[in-house]
Amino acid sequence: MARKRSRQPVPLDRDASGRYLPVLVAIMVYLAALALAGALSFNKLAERWDTGLAGALTVQVPAESRASQDGPELNALVSALSATPGVLSVEPMELGEMTALLEPWLGDTVFAIDLPLPRLIAVTIDPGAGVDIEALRQKLQEVAPGSLLDDHQRWLARLLDLAQAIEIMAGVVVVLVVFAACIMVAFVTRMGLAAHDQAIEVLHLIGAQDSYVARQFQNHALSFGLRGGLLGLACAIPTLYLVRVLLQRIDSGLLPELSLRPYEWPLLVLLPVAAALITMVTARITVMRTLARMP
Amino acid sequence: MVRFEDVVLRYGNGPEILKRISLEFDPGSYHFLVGASGAGKSSLLRMMFLGQRPSAGRVALFGRDVAGLSRRETALLRRRIGVVFQDFRLLDHLTARENVALPLHISGQARAHSTKDVEELLGWVGLADHMDALPQTLSGGQKQRVAIARAVIGRPSLLLADEPTGNLDDRMAVRLLYLFEELNKIGTTVVIATHNESLVERFRHPITRLRDGEALEVPEGSGPARHPGRRGEPTLRDGI
Repeated sequence: MARKRSRQPVPLDRDASGRYLPVLVAIMVYLAALALAGALSFNKLAERWDTGLAGALTVQVPAESRASQDGPELNALVSALSATPGVLSVEPMELGEMTALLEPWLGDTVFAIDLPLPRLIAVTIDPGAGVDIEALRQKLQEVAPGSLLDDHQRWLARLLDLAQAIEIMAGVVVVLVVFAACIMVAFVTRMGLAAHDQAIEVLHLIGAQDSYVARQFQNHALSFGLRGGLLGLACAIPTLYLVRVLLQRIDSGLLPELSLRPYEWPLLVLLPVAAALITMVTARITVMRTLARMP
Repeated sequence: MVRFEDVVLRYGNGPEILKRISLEFDPGSYHFLVGASGAGKSSLLRMMFLGQRPSAGRVALFGRDVAGLSRRETALLRRRIGVVFQDFRLLDHLTARENVALPLHISGQARAHSTKDVEELLGWVGLADHMDALPQTLSGGQKQRVAIARAVIGRPSLLLADEPTGNLDDRMAVRLLYLFEELNKIGTTVVIATHNESLVERFRHPITRLRDGEALEVPEGSGPARHPGRRGEPTLRDGI
């Protein structure tokens, strides 16, 4: 009775050492997918912060200034700001809007009218107009002394630094995962070479070149790497979806959305392919280098 | 074809296994290496199939000094050499058919072409009914025939056989040596190492006798086989 058996000259599929290779590759791809999705999401979040705050200025008029109340002083301040070249809009916030902003922290029983709140004025400028922020600050001091002009750059710069640091860390995780995968594959390949040294010797004696032996190992590694990679991606996608749902429930503009753009999905899908290729190339290099050292 | 000049072989710091061996086998010749176990026959053959480099002296195969061969050149040269190993060295997880096809697979020959050759050759050696058998299900003699088929499938220029009759009865052994003679007739240089001198004496081919690592007899002018078959003797096509 015919029974199923390997047709490969080196029976690598029978190795105990290689049996767990797909699982290990799956874990690596899983970690890499999470890190990559994290990096892409934080990159998008940083872009959102950057574009969202570009051209947005906030003027704070101290509560003790007459310009903080509706009246001719406030109108004069608004006119002065509006007359500045590059300023697109000037909108003083109403008391109701400001109390609504404070409500989450101070509660709805506190009436902002009892507090000495500064008057906030939202100013939108054309980012490409090259508005001189320092000159604008000086003009504000002349019209409403003690007013502050916040262009959000310090805060934004720190947030962008944080986002960039997280992106770099995610990149480092991906690199470490690849490095660990290479070491693991090299180790498994060397074990395979040791386990099948007699078969390999026979192949050499009947005329096989090192590349022929390497091809046995690289094809095996490619197959296992691809299987493991697909398994890892299959596990990563539900995890990413779960994290996305949890982030959406928090509904904070400061947190990333963890939703990928259409052109970012192929990067995730390419992970199993990349894992398989890395596994294959590592196996080949390991075999070629090991055999080259043999007499 | 094969040229040894003052070849010495020792393993590590051990004693000399082969002591200043000098011999030359011409293309198309048929030789026996005889001697007791441990005389150095297998070591001599091992150097001929590039499984071992000499500790001293010079070995040349096909006109090339083996000392300067790269790994790639060594592999390509080995494809011109067929070897029947004493312990067969079949790959246990491959069928007889797959074992025999290995040299063709390694040299990149088309599968359809090689399948036909393999089946034909296995038929010639009397294993038509065992093509898909794994080595562990075959007898010693059958394994030996698979090993022989694997050695000759690539039509080697040089055929080396280490104790190829060790697992065969006398009748089968004689038939096997006639098979090698058939190959020799079509131009293959044949070198057979055996301790069975009574068997060797039935053929009139040059004999190199080894004793304690020394070549005691090296016939001169060993040309092509001088006794190319006799009437009534089995031929390759008759199988074994």
